[in-house]
Amino acid sequence: MTSAGNFIKAIESGSKHLVIKRFTFRYPEQKLKFVGDGYQFDPKRGVGIAGYRGRHILFHDKCTGCQLCAIACEGIAEAIGMVKVDESWKHNKKAIMPQIDFGKCVFCGLCVDACPFYALFMTNDYELSAFTKEHLIYTPAQLAIKPKYQGDVEIVIDGRGATHG
Amino acid sequence: MTSLEDKFEESKKLGLQIAKESEDDRLMTLSVGPQHPGSGHFRFIIKVDGDYIVYCDPDPGYVHRGEEKMCEYRNVIQNIPHLERPVIHDSNNITYSYSLAVEELVGIEVPRRAQYIRALASELNRQVYTLYWLAIYGIFLGHSTMFMWPTGDRELLIDLLEVLTGARVTHAYNIPGGVRNDMPDGFKERCLRQVRYLQKRFKEYEDIFYNMPLFRQRTEGVAVLSKEDAIKLGVTGSVVRASGIPYDIRKAEPYDIYNEIDFKVQYMKTGDCFARSYVPFLDMKESCHIIEQLLDKMPQSGEVRAKLQPNPKGPPGEAYRRVESGRGALGYYVVSDGTPKPYRVKISVGSFRNMLALPYLLVGQKMGDMPATYWSLNYWPVEADR
Ligand code: SF4
Ligand code: SF4
Repeated sequence: MTSAGNFIKAIESGSKHLVIKRFTFRYPEQKLKFVGDGYQFDPKRGVGIAGYRGRHILFHDKCTGCQLCAIACEGIAEAIGMVKVDESWKHNKKAIMPQIDFGKCVFCGLCVDACPFYALFMTNDYELSAFTKEHLIYTPAQLAIKPKYQGDVEIVIDGRGATHG
Repeated sequence: MTSLEDKFEESKKLGLQIAKESEDDRLMTLSVGPQHPGSGHFRFIIKVDGDYIVYCDPDPGYVHRGEEKMCEYRNVIQNIPHLERPVIHDSNNITYSYSLAVEELVGIEVPRRAQYIRALASELNRQVYTLYWLAIYGIFLGHSTMFMWPTGDRELLIDLLEVLTGARVTHAYNIPGGVRNDMPDGFKERCLRQVRYLQKRFKEYEDIFYNMPLFRQRTEGVAVLSKEDAIKLGVTGSVVRASGIPYDIRKAEPYDIYNEIDFKVQYMKTGDCFARSYVPFLDMKESCHIIEQLLDKMPQSGEVRAKLQPNPKGPPGEAYRRVESGRGALGYYVVSDGTPKPYRVKISVGSFRNMLALPYLLVGQKMGDMPATYWSLNYWPVEADR
């Protein structure tokens, strides 16, 4: 093709996009939808269950204070520290549970892989911004709260192109 | 007419200090980077004579993190999250060869389904990297549409990887022994739908960028790297393929299941900037076909992760394995002394080899061709510094 033809082709290709809905979406009014409730791990089968790796969730009724999560994180980010809790559980004699510093955590999920008691999972919550560094340290009580993340934007592909809903 | 010498004599008498222009005065030394938009934590010092570059000295090392040393203090699993930092856009490939090397050392048998899934993840990830690289190439040449389009379309692949691995860029998905988790339900359809749409978009990329006469004029015949020089300099990946050598690790030393996949090694003969920018694009198109085959041939169920003890260790020994990453051959040399922590880890990255071609290509070029040449080398500064 002549070079003029190529110019026209390029302009034609580009100008088609004037009438196509754009790909971006309006965060935070709109949020992405995730598949599942977050990354989980099944220690019996030794394999993870696919999901988004956001902040952790700790089940106090399952955590035995075995510290395996803290040992796993030691070589990664040293984000987990074991702290005393004011709860008395039969299975947790020492009454210690993990506290996670999200200023250090890299969301690799290897602590979840290390927990043998189904006590530590990850959730879809990624909105963790805080005003001070100290507020990024989540205590066991804060980690027990189920996040209220709600997103419904998905990629839609139709004849005219791809958009976010 | 008085000669130049007479004029000097005259000026001396008048008490004027006029010196003869020496060779050094003609040249201007410029420092490109380390904060040049796009050079990305990397500096090269060039000397220009008017508009022509006569000297070039790359100066990497601004983002050296000591990844190799850090590996010696962690066990083989804990090494995964920090090893993917040098190139977060291609994090599946950089942990792929590490996993292969550790598996060889420890003696782990990887389930077949895991081999397919990690090959799939690394193909998707290579495309994510190449689209990002292409976006920057576009903005280097002042083509802002080519910056927006790949950055936007990257989202389709990032979305797939997010569903598969759980993170958008730093996946920590490959580990010695397989992959962290199985594919979620409906992933195959989602993957095919989005990859097919991307293939349609590639047609538009050609219209607006690669077939554009302006882009062609800026890159065709610029900074030609001949076949012989490419071999002598030891460049790798798309740079060596652009110089007419069809060398791809996936074909040359097939790892995992790549010998079961039918694909062609994409290469071009011209060795100029255009070829170097077009070969990664051809690779991306081929990669879409590989993804379809992988999804087709994959065993429908089965283990995806070999069971390991908490601190996997093997007999003392050494292993070297490499994979084809977005930037070329990426190899890991791991030495074990029988403890859970590696004794020594050496990463051989494609970026560093490709950077070595920069002084050869830039000398004799015009200043204006510098960005086109530099970024066509498929160089990722952070990976080269490790
Ligand atoms: S996700 Fe990774 S970095 Fe974060 S606490 Fe768990 S092991 Fe540590
Ligand atoms: S969360 Fe799991 S690994 Fe961590 S202390 Fe509790 S039971 Fe142990």
